[in-house]
Amino acid sequence: MIGSFSDCRGVCSRSACVVALASCLLVALTTCAQDFGDHTSATLTGKAWKALADGPAEHVLAYTGKCRELYLAEAVKQQKSLTDFAPTDKAHDAWALNDVGTCLFIEGQVHEKAGQTAAAIEAYRTLADELKFSQCWDPKGWFWRPAEAAAGRIKQLEFDAKLD
Amino acid sequence: MWPRAVVIAAALATGVCACSPAAEPGSVVRVEQGADGGWRLIRDGRPFVVHGVGGTAALDMLAACGGNALRTWDAASALAEVDGRSLIERAHDRGLAVTVGLWLGHERHGFRYDDDAMLARQRATVAEDVRRLRDFPGLLCWGLGNEMEGPTGRGDSAAVWAEVGRLAKTVKSLDPHHPVMTVVANVNPAKVRAIRDHAPAIDILGVNAYSGAAGIGDALRRMGWTKPYCITEYGLPGPWEAEETTWNAPLEPTSRRKAATYNVTTTDILSDTRQCLGAYAFLWGSKQEATASWFGMLLPTGEKTITVDAVTQAWTGRWPANRAPVLGTTDVPLAGRRVTGDTAFTVTASYRDPEGDELSYAWEVRRENVDRKEGGDAEAEPELIDECVLESDDKGMARICTPTEPGPYRLFVTVRDGHGSGCIDNWPFFVDR
Repeated sequence: MIGSFSDCRGVCSRSACVVALASCLLVALTTCAQDFGDHTSATLTGKAWKALADGPAEHVLAYTGKCRELYLAEAVKQQKSLTDFAPTDKAHDAWALNDVGTCLFIEGQVHEKAGQTAAAIEAYRTLADELKFSQCWDPKGWFWRPAEAAAGRIKQLEFDAKLD
Repeated sequence: MWPRAVVIAAALATGVCACSPAAEPGSVVRVEQGADGGWRLIRDGRPFVVHGVGGTAALDMLAACGGNALRTWDAASALAEVDGRSLIERAHDRGLAVTVGLWLGHERHGFRYDDDAMLARQRATVAEDVRRLRDFPGLLCWGLGNEMEGPTGRGDSAAVWAEVGRLAKTVKSLDPHHPVMTVVANVNPAKVRAIRDHAPAIDILGVNAYSGAAGIGDALRRMGWTKPYCITEYGLPGPWEAEETTWNAPLEPTSRRKAATYNVTTTDILSDTRQCLGAYAFLWGSKQEATASWFGMLLPTGEKTITVDAVTQAWTGRWPANRAPVLGTTDVPLAGRRVTGDTAFTVTASYRDPEGDELSYAWEVRRENVDRKEGGDAEAEPELIDECVLESDDKGMARICTPTEPGPYRLFVTVRDGHGSGCIDNWPFFVDR
């Protein structure tokens, strides 16, 4: 299942329990202070990217959490309506799927930055398993596939664990 | 030489070859499509999956690590002698097969694909190189050009690809026993269509790809490429794809992250057993490109790094006998930051040696690279700043004094185990007034 920040069971049932609980509490506290703009999925995702680059982790998680909270149900619906990646000219039709998928990727990234490998893998796995047809527009001029990138990160993190 | 070259080129152009194919080839390599539609490389009668590297250094190490192939970017490298034996012979001595590069001109370097005289000279050089190298048993296939369509843009110039197609036919007429591969900088639909339309004699598409290398097979299939392909350069995401500091210094992945990237990318690429003939990890050696350590799988002093161990593990399923040091914790307060000059910082980067070897640490500060090029063109080595390292110990701690002159810099640490393995990591910082 895909947990939202108002429902962290999907994460907490696993070994990342303590880290995830701390993250949830932190986000819950921070959420009140965040500016979610017009609350669209595009705005929330854009803010999450920006916070990932230059903001604290709790801000990133607040934006991605809000995006999941508001648009997860629609994202899942859009995922279920597809049997393959949407062609480029139709990719934006799956807006919720694309933005929630991207937010899960961003969550994985922010957990990685914080050294929270288990939480990162959890976010990546949810994306790879459940929102696999999400696409993200790169301003350089093409769509990339967050779920495929997430699957790659899972493998790399699992390899990394073998180094210790 | 020039008039003779033109004569040879003219002969080739009219279909009258200046020489005939080799009577007894040193090896016979072909691409074969099985009944299931999958492609295989067959070398002297046996299937051959390329577990290769780009580069010509440390052949013994490559063989010991489970590699079976290397590629050069030009023919001269394949003929470079050490103790009287050419690279292609030395490779063969060690069971390594060589994809010999046949260098083709790049328009960004001044070559013009609409200049008949330039084309004639290039045709003559290619033919001569094929004649010189076709009979070596170490030859695996020909690498016709490398990113000559340009490292950026669509890369679909009809003039470029028609010439590549013509040269591919020439190479095959001179050497029917080895496949011809052309090598491009990543793929896009226009480029693939241009190759298909203008260079049908190409047997294998070689793709240099960094981010997304493992997805090239799917991308090619979507673009309608039905012949086999090979990943001819892969490794880390390039500096042009990396996150940057606020002063536009690319953030190089840590050695540890590099290892994971090389391992997973190698495994993923090789998992396409239907159309992929193998892959060449980049770079088997060391090179200044963005930084002194971005792409190098070996230290400048020759030791293997953890990226070699990671590729070895992917090729063979085993770690090498002596593994490289593994990065543990770091505490580098100036990393990615703007700092004041002539200020001391304590930095720590701890490494663990899997065999427990004693490690030596060498720290240095260099100016940030201001000679950035594209397409792998040669860059000047950034200046070493003396007297920045105040002290260091054998546990990974150092005291660093920032340079007095404002500007971008990079702190490097090189760690060696004394048994042929090492590691290198770096952190950019900026000195403000």
